[in-house]
Amino acid sequence: MPRRKVGAAIPEMFRTMIEKPSTQLYPYQKVDLPERFRGKLDIDPDKCTGCQVCAMVCPAGVITMVDLGTRKVGDRELPVRRPIFELATCIFCGECVDNCAFKALEMTKQFELATPNKDDLIMKKAIAK
Amino acid sequence: MNYIEILQAIIFPGVLFTIGMGFLFDWLDRKTAARMQGRIGPKITGPSGTLQPLADFLKLLFKEEIIPSHADKTIFLFAPALYFLAPLLSMLFIPIISLNPLAGFDFDLLAILFLLAFAAFVVAVLSYSSASSFTTIATGRLVLQYVSYEIPMVLAIITAALYSKSLSVEGIVASQNKLWNIFIIPFAFAVYIVALMAELEKPPFDIPSAKTEIVAGWLTEFSGRALGFLKLTKEVGYVFGSALAVSLFLGGGLGPALTGLPSWILYFVYFMVKLMAVGFLIFVLKTSLARIKIGQATELFWKILTPISLAQIALVLFLVQGGILVAS
Amino acid sequence: MSDPTRPVRKEETAGLMKYSAENLVPFGPIHPALKEPEYFKLILEGERIVEVIPRIGYVHRGLEKAAEMRPWVQNMYMFERTCGICSFVHSLTYGQAVEGLTIYETPRRAKFIRTIIAEMERIHSHLLWVGLMGHWAGFETLFMWVWRDREIVLDLVEAISGNRVHKSMNAFCGVRRDMPEGMEDRIVERMKFLVERANYYKEIVDTEETMLERTEGIGKISADMAEKLCAVGPMARYVGLRNDIRLTDPYAAYDEVPFDIVTRKEGDVHALLKLRLDELIVAANIVSYAVQHLPEGPIRVKIPPVIPAGENSSHSEAPRGEIFYYVKSSGGRTPDRVKSRQPTMANLPTALALLKGQTIADVPVVLTAIDPCFGCMDRMSFMDLESNRQWTWSGEQLRQYGIRHYFPERAKG
Repeated sequence: MPRRKVGAAIPEMFRTMIEKPSTQLYPYQKVDLPERFRGKLDIDPDKCTGCQVCAMVCPAGVITMVDLGTRKVGDRELPVRRPIFELATCIFCGECVDNCAFKALEMTKQFELATPNKDDLIMKKAIAK
Repeated sequence: MNYIEILQAIIFPGVLFTIGMGFLFDWLDRKTAARMQGRIGPKITGPSGTLQPLADFLKLLFKEEIIPSHADKTIFLFAPALYFLAPLLSMLFIPIISLNPLAGFDFDLLAILFLLAFAAFVVAVLSYSSASSFTTIATGRLVLQYVSYEIPMVLAIITAALYSKSLSVEGIVASQNKLWNIFIIPFAFAVYIVALMAELEKPPFDIPSAKTEIVAGWLTEFSGRALGFLKLTKEVGYVFGSALAVSLFLGGGLGPALTGLPSWILYFVYFMVKLMAVGFLIFVLKTSLARIKIGQATELFWKILTPISLAQIALVLFLVQGGILVAS
Repeated sequence: MSDPTRPVRKEETAGLMKYSAENLVPFGPIHPALKEPEYFKLILEGERIVEVIPRIGYVHRGLEKAAEMRPWVQNMYMFERTCGICSFVHSLTYGQAVEGLTIYETPRRAKFIRTIIAEMERIHSHLLWVGLMGHWAGFETLFMWVWRDREIVLDLVEAISGNRVHKSMNAFCGVRRDMPEGMEDRIVERMKFLVERANYYKEIVDTEETMLERTEGIGKISADMAEKLCAVGPMARYVGLRNDIRLTDPYAAYDEVPFDIVTRKEGDVHALLKLRLDELIVAANIVSYAVQHLPEGPIRVKIPPVIPAGENSSHSEAPRGEIFYYVKSSGGRTPDRVKSRQPTMANLPTALALLKGQTIADVPVVLTAIDPCFGCMDRMSFMDLESNRQWTWSGEQLRQYGIRHYFPERAKG
């Protein structure tokens, strides 16, 4: 039975006082993030072909496909669609990134997404051209 | 009417100095507790966060004051002022810059004891007047804790007075010019420190205002100015309790003389160093202990500390009578 | 006896309050001692608690109904967000229940990775709990130190899965991400450090006098009482019952990793502290072993989005106890019925039995001793305050109510 004493934590308290504190002074200091960090979505518009797989697998309903007209392939008229993302609803699961066969989507390291204007969070990069 | 004395009473070392010391102790408390826990503590306001307690106090002054409908309005509005006066007045009896305090007289130790009891009484009335289920429990705990700690505290103070054969703080300090009282009556000092932690409601005795059990204890229903002054009073009470310990047991501002410096600066510096030492002792104890329950606190005071202080008095009187110690 | 001008509370006219209103202290729904809102009415006499009347349902979100309208994979993400502290185990149990309906097998490497992440979650949950016990007992220093050490585990989880809380690592028949390169040494070294710290905290909890006064002898219950009240998890093991699903019904890779089960005999909160710290050490050893013995192979088998018809159930050992999921499919893209039963629901009667006879200073300590997670647990029930009647609805009654509420024209016909 170990001896009971008052102030058993005092030696460790003095040791902690001399060491460097373990506080990260965010936002005055930058936080270093690991490389697998799942932050805000980013799309490369050149690689996207409009195959709609990302819109079908998204669990939160973030991705909507927008009709941008048609194009001629041989003698057929095929519809051209591109996605827009409502990032305010995104749950950062990464399903769209994993399922994109053309590697057009990636998750950046940006996590400071608070904004007073909801339109800032609608990503229309794929339909910009 | 001596204008210098009035200025001294108001600014230094009187009212404003005491309030400033209260803020300083609050800052030191938070900073050392944070460093011992691996955090940083206040940092942004003022150099290294020193203006943070002042900023907290000013913020509370600007907030709306909400009084519960079934609470006693008169007591709610006026009693915090009474509570604030008690430790502030008591500080005028402590010699800070010279051997003569600002308002000392021959029996001022009794006045200090009365003010301590008065402060506790006002707190009990305050706590009872805000009638909600949490504060009722807090009142019960408060009165029980007061009854437990008062006797050992008064006995410890009386031991110093008995040994120094004087009932004024000035006399007790003056009698310690050969040897500090703490070397003669160390148990009284230890009992006094423990009882002081119970009076200030610092862990392990912060039972009446236990934050995680009864919301905020007797402070629950206060807001705005009243809360600001109640918190400030606790800090001033902390300064006063440590100053009393320094005067009664550690020899006030007495110390080895150095030539070339005016006597009041020397006195003041020694006093501050000892005050910081006692404050630091209480910071360390407060950070390293958990909160105990009211039944266990009562047991501790009645079964252990009261007999120790009684035994200490008996020992000192016996040694003085027997000629082993020379009463100063 | 009562003053006629005082407003009369509804509970007083019903039989729900046999005691006078002056003795009632409302603990919650919002209280500094509760992380999530639940209402416990404490009837006191002085400082002793005579009776506790609970009232739950403040964070009910209707997840079981929402699961019926979403495809199988989306439910995995939704059930992960039932709770923040035990999120991986929820998605793991749901995944195991659904995988049992298909013909596919989970690869061995995926099972090992699932074990590693589940045990890391157990470490972080137990560290959180030890810190909270320090906080409720007034020992802020222990709280700060333990949560500083918890950051180590959270950083490791972030390096593996990308997020600290909602790990999103599970998929049907596999995991979504593999372990990164070069993590093995780092994990083993950090686990060794955590074991040292856990031993130091055990020493503090054993020797610090004020902490012992707060936790020794509190929350005592006998082994038969615990078994009768169906206590699960650490609440069963702290009275000596050897209930651990990792041993009795192994899932994931627990049949290939050697470990011991931890039990204690004393049955008070102090024993719970030592028990959870011991479990932490066992979990750290499991992680070190699994990381060093990871088998090669694929991490995932892709399955079609339509799950064959049938019903299946699965259970696993969350940090708090036993999580149980039941899944019913009729061959479509969405489930027919998902039911989840969380460990706090099973431990709540034990908590109420422990509270009787304690003082009000012990209420946060005892309520936290069962490690409550009210967000997971919440249920809906009906009470008529006038006539003191309680009842619940069946699934069919709930469906009829929904039709009456949303389509009143259809209901009238």
